Amino acid sequence: MAHTGNRREFLRELGIGMAAVPFLLNLPSLGFANQQKRKQRLIVMFSPDGVVPKTFWPDEAGDQFSLKESLSPLEALKSRTLILNGVCDKVRGDGDNHMRGMGCLLTGVELFPGNIQGGSDTPAGWASGRSIDQEIRNVLQADPATRTRFGSLEFGVMVPDRADTWTRMVYAGPNKPIAPIDDPYQMFAKLYGRAKDQESLKSILDDLGDDLKKVSTQISAQDRQLLDEHATFVREMEQELKDAGTAALDHPVPELEPGVKEQNDNIPKISKMQIDLMVNSFAADFSRVATLQYTNSVGDARMHWLGVNEGQHELSHRPDSDEDAQTKLTKINKWYCEQLAYLAQKLADTPEPGGPGSLLDNTLIVWTNELGQGNSHTLDNIPFVLVGNGLDFKMGRSVKHKGLAHNRLLISLAHGFGHHIDRFGNPDFCAAGPLPDLT
Amino acid sequence: MPISTRDPFAALMILVLVPALAAADEKSGVEIYRQKCLSCHGESGTGTEDYPRPLTGDRSVAQLSKLIAKTMPEDDPGTCVGEDADKVAAYIHDAFYSTLAQARIKPARIELSRLTVRQYRNAVTDLVGSFRPAPAIEPGRGLKASYYKSREPNEGQKAFERIDPMVKFDFGESSPDPAKLEANRFSVLWTGSILAPETGEYEFCVTTEHATKLWINDSRTPLIDAQVKSGDDTEHRATIALLGGRQYHIRLDLSKAKQGVDDEKKKNPKRKPKGVKASISLEWKPPQQVGSPIPERNLTPARSPEVFVLTSPFPPDDRSVGYERGTSVSKAWDTATTDAAIEAAGYVATHLRDLAGTKDDAPDRDAKLKEFCHKFAERAFRRPLDDEQKAFFIDRQFAEARDAETAVKRVVILTLKSPRFLYREIGGSAPGPYEVASRISFGLWDSLPDQPLLEAAAKDELKTREQVAQQAERMMNDPRTHTKLREFFLQWLKVERGPEIAKDPDLFPGFDPAIVSDMRTSLEIFLDEVIWGSSSDFRQLLLADYVYLNGRLASFFGAEVMPDAPFQRVAMDPNERSGVLTHPYMLSSFAYTATSSPIHRGVFLSRSVLGRGLKPPPIAVSPLAPDLHASLTTRERVTLQTSPAACMTCHGMINPLGFGLERFDAVGRYRSQEQGKPIDATGTLETRDGGSEPFSGARELAQKLSASEETHTALVAQLFHHTVKQPIRAYGEQTLPDLRKRFVDNQFHVRKLLVEILASSALADPRQVPEKTDATATVTPANTNNPLSP
Repeated sequence: MAHTGNRREFLRELGIGMAAVPFLLNLPSLGFANQQKRKQRLIVMFSPDGVVPKTFWPDEAGDQFSLKESLSPLEALKSRTLILNGVCDKVRGDGDNHMRGMGCLLTGVELFPGNIQGGSDTPAGWASGRSIDQEIRNVLQADPATRTRFGSLEFGVMVPDRADTWTRMVYAGPNKPIAPIDDPYQMFAKLYGRAKDQESLKSILDDLGDDLKKVSTQISAQDRQLLDEHATFVREMEQELKDAGTAALDHPVPELEPGVKEQNDNIPKISKMQIDLMVNSFAADFSRVATLQYTNSVGDARMHWLGVNEGQHELSHRPDSDEDAQTKLTKINKWYCEQLAYLAQKLADTPEPGGPGSLLDNTLIVWTNELGQGNSHTLDNIPFVLVGNGLDFKMGRSVKHKGLAHNRLLISLAHGFGHHIDRFGNPDFCAAGPLPDLT
Repeated sequence: MPISTRDPFAALMILVLVPALAAADEKSGVEIYRQKCLSCHGESGTGTEDYPRPLTGDRSVAQLSKLIAKTMPEDDPGTCVGEDADKVAAYIHDAFYSTLAQARIKPARIELSRLTVRQYRNAVTDLVGSFRPAPAIEPGRGLKASYYKSREPNEGQKAFERIDPMVKFDFGESSPDPAKLEANRFSVLWTGSILAPETGEYEFCVTTEHATKLWINDSRTPLIDAQVKSGDDTEHRATIALLGGRQYHIRLDLSKAKQGVDDEKKKNPKRKPKGVKASISLEWKPPQQVGSPIPERNLTPARSPEVFVLTSPFPPDDRSVGYERGTSVSKAWDTATTDAAIEAAGYVATHLRDLAGTKDDAPDRDAKLKEFCHKFAERAFRRPLDDEQKAFFIDRQFAEARDAETAVKRVVILTLKSPRFLYREIGGSAPGPYEVASRISFGLWDSLPDQPLLEAAAKDELKTREQVAQQAERMMNDPRTHTKLREFFLQWLKVERGPEIAKDPDLFPGFDPAIVSDMRTSLEIFLDEVIWGSSSDFRQLLLADYVYLNGRLASFFGAEVMPDAPFQRVAMDPNERSGVLTHPYMLSSFAYTATSSPIHRGVFLSRSVLGRGLKPPPIAVSPLAPDLHASLTTRERVTLQTSPAACMTCHGMINPLGFGLERFDAVGRYRSQEQGKPIDATGTLETRDGGSEPFSGARELAQKLSASEETHTALVAQLFHHTVKQPIRAYGEQTLPDLRKRFVDNQFHVRKLLVEILASSALADPRQVPEKTDATATVTPANTNNPLSP
């Protein structure tokens, strides 16, 4: 949980060096120059293996609808939720549906032919285009007013340690998959590593000064000048570290529970740690685009903490008539939805720094999946559950489309950031433009 | 008794008498200086506001006198000639001009020095490496290759093993061995080490149509992960920083099979799979080279532990005196050492398990970590810690930090920021055994002493010249010594930075970056061959009548070698080529895009080979454009341009040397005429004692240079500076002549010279004031790259 000291306190504790300050705090050079323009953010959250349609999709369309079991954790955020049914991944070509479901999900374009054999169909390689989150990231990074330290952050939870078409959904370009970071400590080091190092450095400065003095007495007068000069630099560094400690602003930093190992049963802990880090990095404006990938396409998490002992993928293959599996899969998807709700609520509870409202007012979360349903492996009715007001979509609704290509949603996301592209991914699915009835 | 000049007695009489007779109306040297020179050159030649350049150099009295007669005083040349010029020249030379005079005025001393950047990087790498097993050094080359019947390397499925000299195969639609492996399902695993010759960024490139992974140095995370073959993407590249003179773990996997779900069993045995091609090549692009398959000489089947390579950038070292040295500090340097210490601490913290030999949950973990830190500080400081130091550097940090990992980080940062690590030696006392150990290891390796050296120090067995020499000989055949000597000779040749060489494409079609890269490789192989051959004879560098050529170079230079042949020794016409002087890389480096440059070649020969100090040109001059003087040869044009007296003071030395290489054009090809005129490759070697030795062509020039005492002295002085990084004069005036004599007695053996340099410097006492200069000493120290000569 983030401890809510102020930025000044935090910096004093960590002893951040001058060099790190502009990055860490996103101080005037990066952050305050663009206060007039609203900050917009995008999060894509992924969970695998499809959903149970009957416990997932609301029966009604429009603003009067009830949330079913899988989506029940969103009750408190219902007015800020938009459920899109009838959006389909129409991209075909090489690879099985799990592979295409993953690789084409955010890219909207075919996989290259390749050597990765799926459970069926022809073997395939990586996606042949960039993913929408990276497209938006590049637009934001190209403009000094919206540029941030990282541009985008790719979070993961228990992503297997192998790079293939099932484990990557983010692409910097054709054949350029980006690996998510699924170790919260590694992500912490990426975000705050410099600050921790400065802390260690600061702790030895007094001793270093003593050591220099001691050595100085052992050398000849002629040589002492060099060492005196050296000692001056060390004192200057000390002063800079002190100065940096007073040049601070409000900024909570998450405290991670130590020693959480990357293993199946720690998924809930890791999930929370990653979400805390993500919200924190938004508050610090380290990045305005993030992805959060739970396991992988064909992911097989065993959610013992829900009383489910079978792997998720194994369960997802069971027929609709298997009530036990349907119940368990509903529990599993509800658990993912709880993570979504936790993330959204945390954003809603965090004030927008330097602006009115909360982070959620300026953030859109898209929760999605590589399949519509696990046992049929369909790419129709891909779950797209949107939460937050970042792109000014009309929220608080259940919308039912009929077989619209998901490329059109990807285009809409770009348009939401003022990036008016008329196609994204395979142009055959883009002719009709952005998805209707969003704003 | 008739007076005859042949009579020694009479001659002496004249010498004695003449000054006495002339004394009435003639002034002494010092008086002439005060009258005619002092207003510009200042007291003791230190210069004045209008003419701030100190009056120092390496001309003989005779040369100085000639120069003064011709050019001085500047506003009225010709008014100080004959005996006046001789006298004032003799005075200037003796009072402050000559190197010896300068040495008298300002005795050199061994200065407090920090580690140079090279030394810092090596020391940190070896410090961390000392907690890992030493790399196996094997003479064998190539990589160990294991071929498997399975789609991934699986011991039970191994079909055969062999050594592959390089990874460059085209298996076609077949398998590497049709009798043992299926055509469409096999895997190969290549393992061993790569030898990185230079420090810098290396790009690796694996090209294959199939699944592949490449690990370099780090055996856990692949540098290239192309398990997924996707589209037409068959070329996979990645870059990694490596430290020269080290060997690094390498592993390359190839799998010709479908990855992902294994559907082998589902296959219809009657349906024959259509033919699929398989090939693989492993290339690299070392610093300053173009991409090429990693050659056999840079591969070994030997195993190597991971090497910690520091990537923090550093500001470059001061090289104003001709060699890198650490006698100054700057804010940028201090910041760099902080960043580097933090980087090292981070690496140590994440590799504690393997470095400290303890698991995260071991009960004795804290004790083990403390022990690790103790050793870390001892090795960093190159000496045992006393109790007070142990309490300060280790115990105190553990007591104050909130957990053991943080304590380790604190110790690492404090140790690497301590002057005890950062400075070569502290304390002005006579060197103890640990100082001697460090001098040997930094001298040979630019790095920390190894375990045997520290043990010798502990037993106080580094007291005599013989003991030092013995250690140096033991440490000689280490890749780090190879690197140090290679760096030296590339500096000696003034090409260490890999000059950008581009030539006029119309005049020299086919001269591309690949040719330049090959030429450099050819030079490096040649240097290694001479230095590490049994005779290690320096003179061969100047006299060898062969060149290393591969197919590509041979076809460019018109030699007969198979087009795809690797580098091999090719005999040259000894009348044409002679060692490095005529090596194509040198000749094209010291040339313009279209024409040769006798000036650049002459400057190299004067400065590096002969160790002469040359002043920068008095005025900025751009070379005369060849097309303005279309009928002139390069030699004629250079002669025309440098004809003014102000130029000839240096170009009188430079040009006649450079002209000796005029038979070679801008890319180093042999020619016998230019502009339809036959090449004139005659020249002269102007010696320090005022002599002028004529020669014709490269071979005669090389013979004169290789036999010249000046050349030997210059080499000894330069190698001393490269090794010790302190001025040789600080070790006493006899050190240089002694070393030169030993060098000659040892038949110019380069490696023995290195040992002698260490033996004569490692025991020196920095407090000792060098003995007073003997002005009558017959040997003049080389003024090579000397701080005294601008």
